[in-house]
Amino acid sequence: MGKKLEYLITFLVILSLNFGLPRMMPGDPFLYISGDDNDIPVEYSREQIEYYREYYGMDQPIYKQYGGYISDLARGDLGFSYTHREKVSRLIINRLPWTFLLVASSMLLSLFLGIGLGTYSAWKRNQWKDSLLYSLIMILSEIPAFLIGLALLVIFAAGLDWFPLSGAKTHFAVYASNWQHGMDIAKHAVLPVITLTIARTGGIYLMVRNSLATVLTKDFMRTARAKGLKEHRIRYVHALRNALLPLITRIAMQLGGLVGGAVLVENVFSYPGLGTLMTTAVAYRDYPLLQGIFLAIGTTVVLANLCADMLYQKADPRIGQGVQRK
Amino acid sequence: MKSLKKLIFFWKARSVSGKMAIIVLVLLITTAIFAPVLTNLPHQRSSGPALEPPGRPHIMGTDQLGIDIWSMIAYGARVSLAVGLGTSLLAGFGGGMVGMLSGWKGGRTDKLIQRLIDIMLALPELPAMIVIAAFFGSSLSNIIIVLALFSWSRPARILRSATLSLKEQPYIKMAAHYGAGTGYIIRKHLIPELFPLLIINMIRLSSMAIVTEASLAFIGLGDPASRSWGLIIHHAVNFQGIFMTSFWKWWLLFPWLFLTLLVTSLALLGRDLESLADPRMLR
Repeated sequence: MGKKLEYLITFLVILSLNFGLPRMMPGDPFLYISGDDNDIPVEYSREQIEYYREYYGMDQPIYKQYGGYISDLARGDLGFSYTHREKVSRLIINRLPWTFLLVASSMLLSLFLGIGLGTYSAWKRNQWKDSLLYSLIMILSEIPAFLIGLALLVIFAAGLDWFPLSGAKTHFAVYASNWQHGMDIAKHAVLPVITLTIARTGGIYLMVRNSLATVLTKDFMRTARAKGLKEHRIRYVHALRNALLPLITRIAMQLGGLVGGAVLVENVFSYPGLGTLMTTAVAYRDYPLLQGIFLAIGTTVVLANLCADMLYQKADPRIGQGVQRK
Repeated sequence: MKSLKKLIFFWKARSVSGKMAIIVLVLLITTAIFAPVLTNLPHQRSSGPALEPPGRPHIMGTDQLGIDIWSMIAYGARVSLAVGLGTSLLAGFGGGMVGMLSGWKGGRTDKLIQRLIDIMLALPELPAMIVIAAFFGSSLSNIIIVLALFSWSRPARILRSATLSLKEQPYIKMAAHYGAGTGYIIRKHLIPELFPLLIINMIRLSSMAIVTEASLAFIGLGDPASRSWGLIIHHAVNFQGIFMTSFWKWWLLFPWLFLTLLVTSLALLGRDLESLADPRMLR
C-alpha cells in the first residue's frame, strides 16, 4: 500500500506540475520573449497570445481549469499543438516507437554487458584484469551520454562513414524486401543504441560486481561447494541468481535517467523520437506539446517503477505478503 | 605551515587518477578566474573571419560568427564553475540539512521527508527540467535554482542514513540527555562529523550540475547571454552540414574536450575521496 500510494502521489505531482507551470509563469506568460540569438526568435503574435489564453482557459476560476484539465486527460486528450497543427497525443504516438526502440534495445544490451562483465570481474576480483576493467568502465560511464554520442558520431559517421549521420531511415528509400527495410532501420539505430548502452552499462556492472562479492561470502556458497556441485552451477545458479535480485529495482530506477539520456542522444543523431520532438517544442515554445511529452514520459517512468516493485516482491521469497509492511 | 603539511599529506594520500583529476581541475579553475588575462579577444562578438581554423591569433579557431573559440571556452569555464558551485552549495547544504534534520528528528518529520525524497527520486529529472526551463526561461540563475530543486534529494538521503548511525554514538546520546537542542547537535556534532561526506556529495552534485547545464544548453535551453560550453556545442551541431566540412575539428572538438575533461575529473576526484568518508569503502 505504502509504495503504491507513493507512486500515486508522484503521478499527481507530475500532473500538477504540468497544470501549474503555464499558470505560474511570471508576468504575462505569453508575452514572454525568448530564444537564442541565431535560433528561431520566439515572439508570440497577438493572435497566438489570444489563442493560448483561450487554450488554457485562463479566464476561468482555477478549480474549473483544473477540473477541465483532468477530465480532458481522462479522455486521452493531451491538447493541440499549435506549431504542428496536430493533436499532441497523435504526435507522441507517432514518435514513441522510435524512442522505445532505442531505450529497450540499449537497456537489454547494457543488461547483458553489465551482468557479463560484472560476473567476470567478480570472479577475477583483485587481479589486474578486474582492476583494468573496473577503471575503464568507471571512466567511460562518467562521461555523459550526449558527449559519447558526439564522439561516436564524429568518428564512425562523419569520419569513417560506416553509419548514417542522422535520422532513423533513409529518406525516400524504396525497399525491395522487409529484410532490407529492417537492416536500414538497424543501421540507423546502431550508434544511438551503443551510446546509450555505454552510458548505462557502468551502473549495472558495478552493482553485479559488488553484490556478487557479498553473495560469494555467504554460508550457502560454502554449502554448495561442500556438496561438490560443479563450478559453473555454483557460479551461475547459486551465486548469480541471488546477486541479480536487486537489479530489478535498479533497472526501473535507472529508467528515468535512461529516458533523459535518450532525449539528448536522439538530438545528437537527429533521431525522430520523443527527444527531438521535445527540442522542436522547446525551440518554438510549443507548450502543450512539451507538456504532453513530459506527461507521457513521467507516467511511463512511474508505471515502470511500480511494476518493478511488484515484480521484486514476487521474485524475492524473503519479502512475503505483509512482512515488509512498516 | 601546519596547513601546508596537511595539504601535502592530502596530496600524497590521493591515487594516480585522483592526482590527475586535481591537476586538471586546478588548471580549469585557473582558466576561469584568469580568463581576461589568458585571452585578449572578445568572447561575445566577432574578432575575425568566420570559421577560421586554429592558427594565429585564434589558437582554437573561430565559429560561424567569427567569435574566437578559445575566448568562449575560457569565459565558458566561468559558467560551468558558477553552475557547479552554485548548485552544489544550494543543494548540498540544503539537502544535507534536510537529511540531518530528518535523521535526527525521526518520527513524523522523518516519514514526511522520506516520502518527499522518494517522490523526487522517481521523477524523470531531465524532461522535468526541460519543461520548467522552457516555461521560466533559461537564465543562468534560473538554471541553477531548477538544478538545485531537483538534486537535493540524493545528499539528503545519504546524510540521513549517516545521521541515523551517528545518532547511536554514546557521546551524541549523552549530549542529547544533557538537554542539547536539535540546532546545537546539528551544529556541534553532526556537521563536523559529516562534513567530509557532505563535501564528497557536493563534488558529485557539481559534476551532475555541470553536465545537466551543458545538456540543457545543448538542446537549446542555454542562457543566451552566457556562452557556456554546452551552447557552443549546440551551435556547432546545429550548423547545417557541419559534418560534411572540417569545421567540427575545432568548433566542436575543443568544447567537447574541455567539458569531458572537467566532468571526468570531478567524477574521478569524487570517487577517490570516497575513502575519506568511509575507510571501509577502500577497495
